[in-house]
Amino acid sequence: MRPMKMQRREVVGWMAAAIAAAILPFTIPVFAQMQPTPTVHIVDIQDFAFAPKMLKVEPGDRITWINKDIVPHTATANDKSWGTGNLKPNQSSTITVTKGMFDGYFCRFHPSMKATLAQ
Amino acid sequence: MKIRTLIASVALALTTIVSGAQANDPAKLNDLQIAHVAYTADNIDIRYAHLALAISTNPQIHAFARTMIRDHEAVNTQALALLKKLNANPQDNFLSKQLTANSHKLVDKMSKLRGKAFDKFYANNELAYHKAVNGLVANAFIPNIENAEVKALFKVGLKIFKVHEKHAEMMVKGLK
Repeated sequence: MRPMKMQRREVVGWMAAAIAAAILPFTIPVFAQMQPTPTVHIVDIQDFAFAPKMLKVEPGDRITWINKDIVPHTATANDKSWGTGNLKPNQSSTITVTKGMFDGYFCRFHPSMKATLAQ
Repeated sequence: MKIRTLIASVALALTTIVSGAQANDPAKLNDLQIAHVAYTADNIDIRYAHLALAISTNPQIHAFARTMIRDHEAVNTQALALLKKLNANPQDNFLSKQLTANSHKLVDKMSKLRGKAFDKFYANNELAYHKAVNGLVANAFIPNIENAEVKALFKVGLKIFKVHEKHAEMMVKGLK
């Protein structure tokens, strides 16, 4: 009798594992869908200005800076902690927002070009 | 006293440009002559910038000079591409010649300066030069350019050079 009990337990265990294996592939996408989708923001660099000048963002959002001028620009944090690097005409750069980015930024080449990221 | 003398030299050089411009009306230049003046003015500022990179040790001056080279070369690239598209060649004229002659005198003066004397002269000259050229572009060139594409490029150029003027103003204040 005792060996028979062990076999039942094993069977139950295997069944649970099989069910879990069958369900898991379907549950992962469901959970993934529950995660908030990061918002994508576009900042145009045109006529020596960032547009919009003030952008509200959340950590995890993505910001794409597009240089529409005929000269190179950058988007660089005031404290230099992040930056797009040199953006040639028609080039773009995308950065994912982190908590430390809520502050002013500017163009390293043209210091009068200023803008802000706010939460 | 020394700085005052230097500033007076810059002012004198600019007065020469303006008085020369009045004697030969820049408003009467054709599109191809205007294109030549703009190309010449760009190259003069690029030359000043290279001189600044060679002589100055001030990081603020270096940053400004590098921006001048970067931006004026970009504008020249656009201008040459447009002239190629229009199958046209820029035409030399009195104003281009005058700008070039004045720039030679200024380069000679600046080459002899070192340290803060150079930095202040360069910064003041950049401010004065951009003011003078922007005035010409806004008042004499843009209203008289006939070709729409050339006029559009000059309008873009003027926006860029006004930013340079503002930047030069900041640089001058920063050196005081």
